[in-house]
Amino acid sequence: MSSLLTSWEELKKEIHDMLEYARGKLPKRIYEELESKLQKTTEEYGLAPEEARKIIEYVLSEYEYSMVEPGEPVGTVAAQSIGEPGTQMTLRTFHYAGIREFNVTLGLPRFIELVDARREPSTPIMYIYLDEEHKYDENKAKEVARRIEFTRVSNVASEIDIDLVNLRIVVRLDPVMLEDKGVTVDQVKKVLEKLKLGKVEQDPSDPLTLYIQLELGESFSLMELQKKREKVLNAKIKGIKKIRRVIIQSMTNEEGRTEYFLVTEGSNLKEVLNVPGVDPKRVYTNNIHEIEEVLGIEAARAALIREMKDVLDEQGLDVDIRHIILVADIMTATGRVRQIGRHGVSGEKPSPLARAAFEMTTQNLFAAAARGEVDKLKGITESVIAGRVIGVGTGMVEVRMNPAQVVKSMKGVEEEASGGGN
Amino acid sequence: MVEEKIIKEIKFGILSPDEIRKMSVTAIVTSELYDEDGRPVPGGLMDPRLGAIAPGQVCMTCGNDAKTCPGHFGHIELARPVIHVGFAKYIHDILRATCRRCGRVLLPEAELKRYLRLLDRLEERWPLLAKLLVTVVKKKASKVTECPHCGERQYKIVFDKPYTFYEDRPEGRIQLTPLEIRTRLERIPNDDVRLLGLDPQSARPEWMVLTVLPVPPVHVRPSIVLETGIHAEDDLTHKLADIVRTNERLRELLDSGAPQTLIDEHWALLQYHVATYIDNELPRIPVARHRGGRPLKGLAQRLKGKEGRFRGNLSGKRVDYSARTVISPDPNISINEVGVPVEIAKILTVRVPVTSWNIEEMRRYVLNGPDKWPGANYVIRSDGRKIDLRYADRKRIAEMLEPGWFVERHLRDGDIVLFNRQPSLHRMSIMAHIVKVLPGKTFRLNLLVCPPYNADFDGDEMNLHVPRTEEAQAEARELMLVQYHILSPRYGGPIIGGLQDYISGAYLLTSKATLLSIEDVVDLLSAAGYRGEIPEPAILSPKKRWTGKQLVSLFLPKEFNFRGKARVSAGIFACENEWCWNDSFITIKKGELLTGVLDKKAVGAEQPENMMHWLIKEYGTDYARYVYDHMFKMFIRFIEKRGFTMTIDDVALPPEAKEKIREVLKEAEKKVYELIEIYKQGKLEPVPGRTLEESLELRILDVLSEARKKVEDITVNYLDPFNNVFIMARTGARGNELNITQMAALLGQQSVRGERIHRGYLGRFLPHFKPGDLGPAARGFVYSSFYDGLSPVEVFFHAAGGREGLVDTAVRTSQSGYMQRRLINALQDLRVEYDGTVRTPYGELVQFVYGEDGVDPMKSAHGKAVNIDREIERVIGWRV
Amino acid sequence: MAKQKKKFNILEHELVPRHEIVPPDEAIRILRELNIRPEQLPWLRVTDPVAREIGAKPGDIVRIYRKSPTAGEIVVYRYVVGY
Repeated sequence: MSSLLTSWEELKKEIHDMLEYARGKLPKRIYEELESKLQKTTEEYGLAPEEARKIIEYVLSEYEYSMVEPGEPVGTVAAQSIGEPGTQMTLRTFHYAGIREFNVTLGLPRFIELVDARREPSTPIMYIYLDEEHKYDENKAKEVARRIEFTRVSNVASEIDIDLVNLRIVVRLDPVMLEDKGVTVDQVKKVLEKLKLGKVEQDPSDPLTLYIQLELGESFSLMELQKKREKVLNAKIKGIKKIRRVIIQSMTNEEGRTEYFLVTEGSNLKEVLNVPGVDPKRVYTNNIHEIEEVLGIEAARAALIREMKDVLDEQGLDVDIRHIILVADIMTATGRVRQIGRHGVSGEKPSPLARAAFEMTTQNLFAAAARGEVDKLKGITESVIAGRVIGVGTGMVEVRMNPAQVVKSMKGVEEEASGGGN
Repeated sequence: MVEEKIIKEIKFGILSPDEIRKMSVTAIVTSELYDEDGRPVPGGLMDPRLGAIAPGQVCMTCGNDAKTCPGHFGHIELARPVIHVGFAKYIHDILRATCRRCGRVLLPEAELKRYLRLLDRLEERWPLLAKLLVTVVKKKASKVTECPHCGERQYKIVFDKPYTFYEDRPEGRIQLTPLEIRTRLERIPNDDVRLLGLDPQSARPEWMVLTVLPVPPVHVRPSIVLETGIHAEDDLTHKLADIVRTNERLRELLDSGAPQTLIDEHWALLQYHVATYIDNELPRIPVARHRGGRPLKGLAQRLKGKEGRFRGNLSGKRVDYSARTVISPDPNISINEVGVPVEIAKILTVRVPVTSWNIEEMRRYVLNGPDKWPGANYVIRSDGRKIDLRYADRKRIAEMLEPGWFVERHLRDGDIVLFNRQPSLHRMSIMAHIVKVLPGKTFRLNLLVCPPYNADFDGDEMNLHVPRTEEAQAEARELMLVQYHILSPRYGGPIIGGLQDYISGAYLLTSKATLLSIEDVVDLLSAAGYRGEIPEPAILSPKKRWTGKQLVSLFLPKEFNFRGKARVSAGIFACENEWCWNDSFITIKKGELLTGVLDKKAVGAEQPENMMHWLIKEYGTDYARYVYDHMFKMFIRFIEKRGFTMTIDDVALPPEAKEKIREVLKEAEKKVYELIEIYKQGKLEPVPGRTLEESLELRILDVLSEARKKVEDITVNYLDPFNNVFIMARTGARGNELNITQMAALLGQQSVRGERIHRGYLGRFLPHFKPGDLGPAARGFVYSSFYDGLSPVEVFFHAAGGREGLVDTAVRTSQSGYMQRRLINALQDLRVEYDGTVRTPYGELVQFVYGEDGVDPMKSAHGKAVNIDREIERVIGWRV
Repeated sequence: MAKQKKKFNILEHELVPRHEIVPPDEAIRILRELNIRPEQLPWLRVTDPVAREIGAKPGDIVRIYRKSPTAGEIVVYRYVVGY
């Protein structure tokens, strides 16, 4: 046995041929990992050239062994691998780790939501990261949060009454809420003026009380007054629609600094992207359809994978990412997010038998009859129904021979043989 | 013999009246079924020309006997046309989109031409988009109010589900009769039909209005003869009789020139009967019922649903050569084997061709016959005739036996069978086992294969199937055998592995405290089936003693290196490397287990990247099977010899510990009451976005769970880490520290929907508390342990919490089952092609490289193509 | 001023991988390599925000450089479809 080398350079020279061979065989990422780990090992423990060769040999053979075989029914395996642990998932919604302010749907209900490709998640949530200027300062983060949070007059008012004697609406503002939401009395006043219900006045003795002097016709009903009050209640002061609540969270980022970011209840990707102070590159929402609409199908696919993986991880279920990728890929194959089910992937299969065997049997058969559809019996269900060999695994093998081609190639061989003889 | 054919494709369409008449063997004209003598009436629904079903009967149409006659259709000429309910929706679409006078689609000629050209192109390559185009055309055309072709004004067509149509004319809403509808549909030219998404060759729109009704052959609706001799007819026959009766009555009325209202009444009745014959679950019309009140089954009901033709008979079929019984454990058989009771082995058979090499053996089987195992149940002669050995002269047949014949011999040791436990959630739910015929009445299986089947022995039953053809047997043996499924494709790690006593046994055997005498060693090794030298003892004097680690090493490959933490490496027993007194770091160098104990992490099921995982990956499944069959046997043999039990003293805490726990709880209680006090004064700071009550609850829950945590630490500290209960928890054999705390110290907070239990009486859970009491005890904090026993009130809290768990599981199984069905259905057709891409059977590409790197998760190292650290360890692990 | 930037360009978002239109001659080569008709590729709708941003037309093939959790970066294609 030759001696251990502790210099990577020396060893590299010794096993140069093997490394080059491995570089050609292995994907870049694995090769780089191999090289760096060999170097580390050499410097730490020393490595004999034979040992290094052996390691490379093992890596190569393991890599080759790990490749999928043609015919592998990867779809079924993926579905089983995701469905089987489904029985172990929890049903209830939980307070998310760290965010106790609102509930987040997790576990089986959330996963079903994802494969159903629902328009709107039951608990939409956004993660909004901030730009350089705002992310390290809690007050600046709060500033952005206030810009985003949807605030209506009713959020900052303690009382909104109709004064029937003077025919005016009395709005009493809550100083605590004003402070909390970062709204000034003037702002509210402006908003109320914009409603064009009448002149807005501030109470001279109490600056927090506003009056809206209504301009009404001769005859008016109470209903009318109520409607106007509603209008005042729902008047938007600031913020982004659908974002009900914003919470500031902090984390330690890669640079080791405390970074502030926002978590919101409710989601509106399109508008949040253009809010100043937000780092639009990293804005994230759990609403897949919104991502599809705003950022495109590829982003939706990435988000789908991330969401599904997160649900499984949170439940402590070990499922290979490849299964999840496959599900996401088939859901996004036609350029939009399709549901796993009768209104999506299964419903768009070309085979009427497969569709009938899944759900809505008679409707599918009638539709197939009306359209004069043809079932080519290529899929699994159809093959089972028609008693054919299914087209995956060992059933994939189809030997086809073109007699003309065989004759031609035979001739070539003969000529070569006879030519060689001469 | 019937020639075998392979179906290449199936074309769907609507039968035209001509076709129906052409394939019909007789018109059905009378609703009577049998005459006084009980013979079927010609022209009735049981007309013998419709096919032979009684044994010995010869078909009047095709001349075959009951077994081979396929059955023949008849037909009913309807006196007036009726709508086919299944197509009513399409009829509505078509009527709306076409002209009521000229039958053209209500779009200008040029536009139609353009759409038609587009449709031609799309149909060829984009069937999905063609569907989209059709909906666009339909939508556009149905909005037009004046025909661009003939200028006719169009009226709104109202569809009254399930089969009535009206037209909103200026003079009022007028019903359209099926006759009128049919004439309108007839006028639509073929090209326009195509634009509406129909195929004019196989589905002319007017065929959606029935003028002739096909009558299925009797095979489809067999009558059952009851013991009393009375014929009980099939639901379809009843329904068809109703149709014939109404039809004949309607015809009479028409012929006799009856008043229009009477005719309309019967026409509507005919429509109703035909509609419910097709589908008896139509909305808004009464369900047709049997005399007894039971709803009749229409054609649609036969196809629909889980037990319907599609899911019940076509996608899933009942099979022969299968068995089902209770399972029970047998650690003495291989993981690849299954114990089959003799009684079952005598019923399940394998068809073996007689050859000159096995003829003697086959003769023996035939002589043994069906009742003596190993025997045979049938012999098939070369002409295909089957001889039942129960009634035959077995001696004579044994003599006659010759190559070319087949013997249906009993199942015997070494045969391959498929073994299955429902629910079949993944592919490891059906695996191939090798038969071992054993006395008893249960299937026996090795305990190590419980995890993949998710089986236990509290009464579980399993199914067994015998593959029939050599091809199937070979595939089962080479692909489905248990040893090829040790690694799960779900996460790329072993799913088969030790559990419960295997883990406790492995831990106890390999622990440093275990020293074995020569008798012990011999006993353990012989139980494990070890053949070979006994190693040098670890201790020579005063007496020869061996360690458990030495015995384990005997089963490890000579070049195997491994280093890793054991599961017990936690808390006070933690080890970071092999130089550690706690012996919880596993070091294997050159096949020698030097330090560390084996526990769940090393030998347990579902533990990727552990010792067993690398053994399987690096030394193959044959070797893995050897280890599972032999080394694991040694673990349970050891625990048998040593004895392993649990006593109540294992969870008894000393008074000192109880005192400490009481302290902790008192403190927590104090904190809770403080919180409540603050809350009552209205000074509690709310958690943003939560109400005051919610905030209080959250805070209380925090305080209590923190207290429980502290109690757990105290409990764990005071219990002997080497008592059996604790050993089980530490090694991962069964239970965890929380369970121990619940037994020894306290149960802790019971919850329903993640909240403290508060529903029941107004403001309180039980009348034992004051209304509005928010203290821990009133809302489900259980202070007692199982050791102390619960107070009656606590029992109720515990039951409430426990019930929620049960409900949760019940709901979850149905939900996740449906999700899995949908996932399977959506994905099952995908496969990896020879070029590594993932495609549907129609060539649509889903992934360019499977999993983006082409790695099979089952063959991966826990998701990675190669675990390079492991490969390095594999080579140099012996010296570092 | 940097703050005065207009609308955010979605191509810069971390979830959006790099897309580029493949020139026709290369597209043909890719299709031949995969032994596939273009409509059998995964689709990208013309109305997809990214497709609009890069100006893809129906019939184009778009190359996408995806970040992959298993393989680092991989190249995939989508066929632009007008629906």
